[in-house]
Amino acid sequence: MDTLKVRDAKDVEEVVRAAIASEQPLEVIGHGTRRAIGHPMATNAVLDVSDLNAVTAYEPNELIITVQAGVPLADVQSLIDSKNQQFAFEPMNTSVLLGTSGNGTIGGMIGAGLAGPRRIRAGGARDHLLGAHAVSGFGDSFKTGGRVVKNVTGYDLCKLLAGSWGTLAVMTEVTLKVMPKPESERTLMLSGLDDVTANKAMTAALGSPYDVSGAAHLPNSAFRSATGALAGLAAQGPAVTLLRLEGIAASVADRATSLARTLAPFGSVEMLQDTASAAAWGAIRDVEPFAAGGALGNWPVWRIVCPPAAGGALGQAMARETGGDVIYDWGGGLIWAALPPKSDAQAALVRQRVEAAGGHAALIRAPEETRRKVAVFHPQAGGVAALSQRVRHSFDPKIILNRGRMLLIAAT
Amino acid sequence: MAIMMPAADQAVLDRRGEIVTALRAIVPGEGVIDSAAEMQVYESDGLTAYRQPPMVVVLPDTTEQVSQVLKYCFEQGIKVVPRGSGTSLSGGALPLSDGVLLGLGKFKRIREIDFDNRVVVTEPGVTNLAISQAVAHAGFYYAPDPSSQIACSIGGNVAENSGGVHCLKYGMTTNNVLGCEIVLMSGEILRIGGKAAENSGYDLMGIITGSEGLLGVITEITVRILQKPETARALMVGFAEVEAAGECVARIIGAGIIPGGMEMMDKPAIHAAEAFVHAGYPLDVDALLIIELDGPGVEVDELIKRVETIAQGCGSTTCQISTSEAERNLFWAGRKAAFPAVGRISPDYLCMDGTIPRGALPKALARIRDLSEKYQLGVANVFHAGDGNLHPLILYDANKPGEIERAEAFGADILRACVEFGGVLTGEHGVGIEKRDLMPEMFSEVDLNQQQRLKCAFDSQGLLNPGKVFPTLHRCAELGRVHVHGGKLAFPDIPRF
Repeated sequence: MDTLKVRDAKDVEEVVRAAIASEQPLEVIGHGTRRAIGHPMATNAVLDVSDLNAVTAYEPNELIITVQAGVPLADVQSLIDSKNQQFAFEPMNTSVLLGTSGNGTIGGMIGAGLAGPRRIRAGGARDHLLGAHAVSGFGDSFKTGGRVVKNVTGYDLCKLLAGSWGTLAVMTEVTLKVMPKPESERTLMLSGLDDVTANKAMTAALGSPYDVSGAAHLPNSAFRSATGALAGLAAQGPAVTLLRLEGIAASVADRATSLARTLAPFGSVEMLQDTASAAAWGAIRDVEPFAAGGALGNWPVWRIVCPPAAGGALGQAMARETGGDVIYDWGGGLIWAALPPKSDAQAALVRQRVEAAGGHAALIRAPEETRRKVAVFHPQAGGVAALSQRVRHSFDPKIILNRGRMLLIAAT
Repeated sequence: MAIMMPAADQAVLDRRGEIVTALRAIVPGEGVIDSAAEMQVYESDGLTAYRQPPMVVVLPDTTEQVSQVLKYCFEQGIKVVPRGSGTSLSGGALPLSDGVLLGLGKFKRIREIDFDNRVVVTEPGVTNLAISQAVAHAGFYYAPDPSSQIACSIGGNVAENSGGVHCLKYGMTTNNVLGCEIVLMSGEILRIGGKAAENSGYDLMGIITGSEGLLGVITEITVRILQKPETARALMVGFAEVEAAGECVARIIGAGIIPGGMEMMDKPAIHAAEAFVHAGYPLDVDALLIIELDGPGVEVDELIKRVETIAQGCGSTTCQISTSEAERNLFWAGRKAAFPAVGRISPDYLCMDGTIPRGALPKALARIRDLSEKYQLGVANVFHAGDGNLHPLILYDANKPGEIERAEAFGADILRACVEFGGVLTGEHGVGIEKRDLMPEMFSEVDLNQQQRLKCAFDSQGLLNPGKVFPTLHRCAELGRVHVHGGKLAFPDIPRF
């Protein structure tokens, strides 16, 4: 299979146009760290954007950074960290779950759109992508959005590009919002709650005025294979519920006291300070309990997004019925579920339960043969599915880009 | 009218009687309005310089009726213009002479308040403020707060991706909506998203938000609600020079402080507002910043100190800090009344809405001053300074021949300058008809074609709100054509591995 390493947007146009002419679908990659997410693709060549790796402009006072799509995410993160800034949506490092090396590129981060714990407060990748230059499946370079936060000029195509898994257009350059890093953080920890009660505690915290920026629950089972930051927490009790506060030190201390009072009906709280707190949230963001290198490394992993107050009951029932393990983030609105290996990853059961709760489930980790026969992304209702396909065709009518990645192609 | 709307379809106009009858069969009673006198209230929105009576007005009160109206119009090739409260400042709800005006005013019910999931499910005709009021007893509110929040509908907010004073910290509409029920032009009813933080598949909610009524008609919306901050206090800081105020804004953000709101007014705006509401604004300054910090008391107190120090470092000449809710509200009273206040000193004004990078504020203000000279028209400036969103108010008198044309040319030049300085044509008011013909200043034909292709995915015949946003309309079949360049897979230049 050919790998075509492009150097600029013109190259991308040329490759896509040639691919259209010869009806050869392309797989679009940066570092390829998220290639194993989605269905195995029906592509004949690889378009590699990793050489589009320049930082175009970083303007800390404007709270924006403009970079080419192939810039390593880690490089950008350390650059903005040097100015005490960050991507507020806490992009997930998928390499822990997938066993790949490195954290991929900015383009991959946006294409996947996988946000971490702070999504409940700061939004997702879609909320931080201000503008983009991209090449559509027509082989045309287009731009959308701009370099300012407040912008309603034309359709907001950025929203579609985020989380589209490279199926709409090949991003070549993007402008992202950056935010100041909080001066301090503290995590309140409750112990020993069952999933449903923990869900209630998180709901109480998120319904308080104390500006909670992370709300996660780790049942006892999550510690079976815990290493690193989480291994330390396991000593605290059978299950832990974590609530994060961030901001200036005086404010964090004040809110911690108030929040502890709000949570009093659920038990007494312990505090994790800055470094320990950050380490725990990093582990939750990257789903370390189900790490590729851990005891559940070969279990399929589902990412379930649901109404937050429904999470505890849903996760608990699913764990019981499937024999799997779950952890909760986003106050119950995000459930990571690792299920004992079965060739269909128990998709029918998972999706039935998740739909009943008003959510959707994506199979983020599974062997290739499973991803050949099970819908990786949640199947949509007829009308929405048809509209999504029309949207796709409006960008890529010949389905040249990442063909087959998001939609299961029925075996004929 | 400087802006040309699509030519009316005489064949449709000739069938008006039959169309009215068909619509009455779908929406009975007073829900169909066809008398010229009664339709008058619908002939313009907040962009009052433009007026056009519609062919007929329909006010459905169920999703099923909306669906049937759209299906009928789709099958008959009749254009439709959706309308909420009609407060658009860009002409988004301006009717078409051969179009049905579809008013959502009867969709006035909040369907569900769900505190556990921190969402409200509402019909689109509910006002922005009514949502906050409905949840206030539990300490919650809906964050985006456009100035028209007493009147503007949440459906219109979604259509326009409305902002407001507090969107610097809390985001615009798009960052605060989770799902909707939408009726496509074909009459098809779809549910997108819901109470979960994200949709599955493509982010259709994200693209519907801010689509200015061109993609579908929204009949239900799920919005996020937040707990009100414990306290809020404001500083009112005066500067002898606009540049110093601009520098102060940049330094506050640079120090990692994101205020709840950060507004700037220039001298003419300060004077107009003070004369109107007597908020105690200093009259001997060239620029006034109102900076609001919100959160827990200790945090607000600490940040007030930091902001005060930064302001002094930038050479502030006056600084007042609110010590009570009444005083904070007084600081805001002048800013919130700035538009009507300017209305008192000038017979008419045009409100512009460009965004620029914060750092370009002084440059942009200097340009606006030069243009004011050139066009011989006064201008008062109010800005959402924190996010670089400018609202120059161009003063003119519609009764003086040629003034409106001059005012519009002045406004267009301001928006061109915004793009030149790295910004955009509109920060929160929308393109509508007002900025439609300026779109090529910011977007190439290829960029605009891609946007119109997306419209085709929702509205294959281009019947929903045509003539808005896009300066040139293309047929979907033409836009969808793939041009095949060459015919071989040859990239002579590109390294292979």
